Amino acid sequence: MSRGDLPGTPEGFYLRFQVGARTDTGRVRTLNEDVFLLRPEQGLFLVCDGMGGCPAGEVASEMAALSILEHVSRRERPGTAASAEDGDYLPQSRRLRRAVEQSNQYIFERAQAEPDRAGMGSTVVGAWISGAIVSVAHVGDSRAYLWHRNRLARLTRDHSLTEDGAHKNVLLRALGREAKVAVDVRELAVQPDDYLLLCSDGLTNAVPEATVSNAIARLRDPQRICDELVDLANRHGGPDNITVVVVAVIGSMWHSLSDWTRRLSGGHIAAADSAS
Amino acid sequence: MPRLILRLDDREVNRWSLGPVVTIGRLPDNTIVIDSSAASGHHACAALEGHDFVLEDLASTNGTFVNDTRVNRHTLRNGDVIRIGDHTLEFDAKHGGDVDARQAAERIVSNPGDTVFLDADKHQALLAMLQEAGADGQALDSNKVGVLRVLKGPADRPEYHLQAHTSFIGKADTSLVRLKGWFTPRIAIVITRSDQGYTATRMRSTAKINGEPLTGHCDLKEGDVLRVGGLTLEFGFSR
Repeated sequence: MSRGDLPGTPEGFYLRFQVGARTDTGRVRTLNEDVFLLRPEQGLFLVCDGMGGCPAGEVASEMAALSILEHVSRRERPGTAASAEDGDYLPQSRRLRRAVEQSNQYIFERAQAEPDRAGMGSTVVGAWISGAIVSVAHVGDSRAYLWHRNRLARLTRDHSLTEDGAHKNVLLRALGREAKVAVDVRELAVQPDDYLLLCSDGLTNAVPEATVSNAIARLRDPQRICDELVDLANRHGGPDNITVVVVAVIGSMWHSLSDWTRRLSGGHIAAADSAS
Repeated sequence: MPRLILRLDDREVNRWSLGPVVTIGRLPDNTIVIDSSAASGHHACAALEGHDFVLEDLASTNGTFVNDTRVNRHTLRNGDVIRIGDHTLEFDAKHGGDVDARQAAERIVSNPGDTVFLDADKHQALLAMLQEAGADGQALDSNKVGVLRVLKGPADRPEYHLQAHTSFIGKADTSLVRLKGWFTPRIAIVITRSDQGYTATRMRSTAKINGEPLTGHCDLKEGDVLRVGGLTLEFGFSR
């Protein structure tokens, strides 16, 4: 499906992305229960951090990612009722929320049915980009950040007892642990040169936000940013599985062209610009 | 799975089910963080060896004590009390050994390592406790809705309510604030709403905010004046 099919999003402002991603077991754990999923052609990016131990945690995070992808890619049946709280969201945000709710149900049902998977669960942070609008949904303590001109803004609020300090490892919400889950959704607009970063707590517990921001400012290339951040988390002990997805927003062809002509007409063209 | 119960002055601070390796210390990268200057950055660790958990002091400054005896290496037995500074950690080897314990009322379940999950009831109790302590941040009152009041220019309404999480200003049909004119972009500005407030993001326009060109993302404050496509709009909140 093309991004233009999404209802409610005015066409005419499509952005391109460059994507980097890496996941790593870290230095302490023996298993990697994190997963990431990248569908740049759909604008969908997910990070899930499984819990529940061998092998249930891996199963839960993978189920979460795949079922969200499946739900988001499926053609919506017309007349799907929207709940009252949904009304203020764009259709794609509502669909992303339903996809996450649905994945909760799948994992919960499987955990109930298979005793050796009892108690499995997963966090999720997902970004679905449509035009210049990003819908971000999350459950648990995996985070989304927006980097814009050297400022790193946290887009999600951890569903843990406290975001820092002694209780940050106490999760209040996770997929698959209860029959229903509340999903936090927010919308934001992005511009060329913005960076979206999705990560599991293995990154944020090991690497300070200022260091993350510096790495983006210095490296710029999404894959190099991911590699550097995972290496840093490991150098800080790698206490947990580490997953990082970085989406760099690049202007559309139209944007690059108009930017270039504006600079030309303004007489501000620099050697570095014309080379790139 | 055995667990460790952290106490300070006989008050329970936290508890963890043990994974194969548990690190204890002051720095945030430990599995069990002890917020005390008496604890070294990486103070001690406990690792599964065969069927036993073995506690090891990591050359800490103030030492690791088990049942009031300083130890370098110690095989943990049920009921052992580890002391680090003023904090104690009780080793509970029996926990979770049978189905009854696993279905115990408090339902704190965790993966090997450190993430603990709380069910809804426990969550409510703890939230109440935290709110009493004033730990809740400054969130935007969800009843306060942003408004763009038209100060000047040809608009179809005197004011626009920013009820949606995303509102568009531009020529597109789906825009909340419809702009006219040949060279007007389909989307000039996007205004998004989160629990921290409203943010205006320039898409394709030469908009001004308080007389300065709007570039990037701008967090809106009461009284901000936005000029775009012949309209002058003032941002505020409705009651």
